[in-house]
Amino acid sequence: MIRYEVIIIGAGPAGLSAAIEAAARGLKVVVFDENDKPGGQLFKQIHKFFGAKEHQARERGFRIGERLLAQAVGLGVKVVLGAQVVGIFDNKQITVMIDTQMEYYVGNSIVIATGASENVISFPGWTLPGVIGAGAAQTLMNIYGLRPGSKVLMVGSGNVGVVVGYQLIQAGCQVAAVIDAAAHIGGYGVHAAKIARMGVPFYLSHTIAQAHGTDRVCGATIVEVDQAWQPVPGSEKFLDVDVICLAVGLSPMSQLARLAGCLLQDHPHKGGLVPVCDEYGETTVKDIYAAGDVAGIEEASSAMLQGRIAGNAIACRHGYISRTEFERYHAEYKTSLMQLRGGTFGHDGGEKTQPKHTAEGQPLSQTLLTKGYLDERELTVFPGIPGEAARKQGLVAVLECTQNIPCNPCQDVCPKGCIKVGDKITNLPVMVSSAHCSGCGLCVISCPGQAIFLVNETYADNFAAVSIPYELVPLPVPGSKGMACDRSGAVLAEAEVISVRKNAKSDGTALLTMKVPGQWAMLARFFKPGAALQEG
Amino acid sequence: MIKRTATGKAFIDQPDDSLVICRCEEVTKGEIRRAVYEGMMTMNEVKRYLRPGMGLCQGQSCSRKVRDIIAAELCVPREKIELSTARNPIRSVPMSVYANDKAF
Amino acid sequence: MYRIENHPILPEFHRGKRVAFLFDGKEYEGFEGEPIAIALRDNGVMVHHYTAKRAEPRGIFCAIGRCNDCVMIVDGAPNIRTCVTPLQAGMKVETQYGTSNEGVTGRQ
Repeated sequence: MIRYEVIIIGAGPAGLSAAIEAAARGLKVVVFDENDKPGGQLFKQIHKFFGAKEHQARERGFRIGERLLAQAVGLGVKVVLGAQVVGIFDNKQITVMIDTQMEYYVGNSIVIATGASENVISFPGWTLPGVIGAGAAQTLMNIYGLRPGSKVLMVGSGNVGVVVGYQLIQAGCQVAAVIDAAAHIGGYGVHAAKIARMGVPFYLSHTIAQAHGTDRVCGATIVEVDQAWQPVPGSEKFLDVDVICLAVGLSPMSQLARLAGCLLQDHPHKGGLVPVCDEYGETTVKDIYAAGDVAGIEEASSAMLQGRIAGNAIACRHGYISRTEFERYHAEYKTSLMQLRGGTFGHDGGEKTQPKHTAEGQPLSQTLLTKGYLDERELTVFPGIPGEAARKQGLVAVLECTQNIPCNPCQDVCPKGCIKVGDKITNLPVMVSSAHCSGCGLCVISCPGQAIFLVNETYADNFAAVSIPYELVPLPVPGSKGMACDRSGAVLAEAEVISVRKNAKSDGTALLTMKVPGQWAMLARFFKPGAALQEG
Repeated sequence: MIKRTATGKAFIDQPDDSLVICRCEEVTKGEIRRAVYEGMMTMNEVKRYLRPGMGLCQGQSCSRKVRDIIAAELCVPREKIELSTARNPIRSVPMSVYANDKAF
Repeated sequence: MYRIENHPILPEFHRGKRVAFLFDGKEYEGFEGEPIAIALRDNGVMVHHYTAKRAEPRGIFCAIGRCNDCVMIVDGAPNIRTCVTPLQAGMKVETQYGTSNEGVTGRQ
């Protein structure tokens, strides 16, 4: 039996953050993780995170993972991989299966940071090879560099569905459609918009009726559902796909907490059965904490803060920091966490209903919620969209950020102070003044939602220049021709690439500037290389 | 605790009864519904009767759905259905690991 | 044919050396150290096992070692989760039928 002051179960964002916090105060910490690689799901997250600077916003998940791991190891945390915690007993003893051995540990404190498991739905053919979890798609593509197939149907329009849909396209797959039984897109509108403008259709109020095939998926039939979730006869559509990806929600993996005797409660908005915790993450069993998705499904940024909160509380409980110091840190982490939990998609604990307006009072875009893109006519009411007068003056940044998402890198990076979000990071960004915009494009490449564009309607006679964030390969070269597409992916006109800028700061995101006919300046939002103009 | 009441009504087939719910033990929705009809009203009972959740994955993907099916069959909210007892070990462990155990 | 050679965001994938292994008696190639399931998928193999009761095909589902749908017989041992078991040169990988390699289909 080996004793540690802190045993952490799960080396994801919550577990590693708890480990860092406790080890930095001088506690002896061990982290067990069943996977061969640490970081939980962080290393599969190749998109930029939302939030403010202290939440490591505009950093890609895998980079945050690398840093957390280096920090933890640097502080002397022992991270044991390939270690399945299979049991938890009285007095905080645990059994861990490592290779072919069972090992026994005991902790003064335990942090359960086991994360979540993916939900599934059953339909005829759902056990066929080719039907996979969205997490599996990410593991295959982003860890092992393997496409899960060629053409994919994404089931579920929450953030996981739309983010993984985008990653599938980055990996070179086609996404045939994103479907959701709900009437509205569940994820952030900006994530949906990224794939909508690449031409991915959204079928809301649709479910999967059947996966076809005998020993692998060779197609899917989707069907519309009515308000009672019943299939609408005659609405079936066949989709030619070889992969069906399930992104239908996550459930907290709370078995260990149950096994430890913690009180659990059903919380629909937290994703299911979660341990009852106090504000420090301590469960109803003294010295056993829960942090991250196991305590309620949220974003990785929130998980990191919950881990810090638990680590800080443990350090204080065992006398490694003074009460005042503890309270100071706790207040800081708590405030930061509350910022992330605000806004349209926030986990503020209340009953969630579909909001109709932004916090500022603008009507939410209905096309964004149902089709995944903003309708030009809905745009004018938002504070980040420059009016015609400003656009006539020259180059402007267009902030197509229309939902209250906790995020402010645009404000942070603008060297001229043109963009204002304010202290409350869920506020919509406001274009304070376009007069000073130098066209540096930092806001475009930094926006985790890829919702910022530069538009220059005075670029040339009858032509406008539109700059967009671009994260696909091969990267078009200046002078090359292609098609300008609108927010729904429909081809507008031929476009020519004027410039492509990419640097270390942009971390893979290129700033692509294209020349489009002047009348499409406020519509053209995607560049499709090559291919001659197609009909329709 | 759900009251056991014999409804006296006949079991009614549903069109999706043949769907596999527990992938490991290949238990269908119809089998679970029938088990409830036959008097298994808790997750523990259904588990012992039909084995959903006793396969290699230890109920990681099916327990949520089994719970929903039982709740729907009994016309109660899912919160009323207790999960089956959490037991050590929570993951499948090869017997050789126990045979190797240095502690005994 | 499913390998990603050029990714817009990720740096080069660290792959081990190319090694040969046996799948149901035929020789295939994969990268040493990657999960067996990845090497099989790249070679177009999607069926890992046939279930015990209904003899239905199963393959990769969760890809992180939880669902156990990708189990196969590896070097004679059944129920090996191929999505988390690293490929080694000369490995003998077989389709699993129920729990055996005998091609027997179904209890029902």
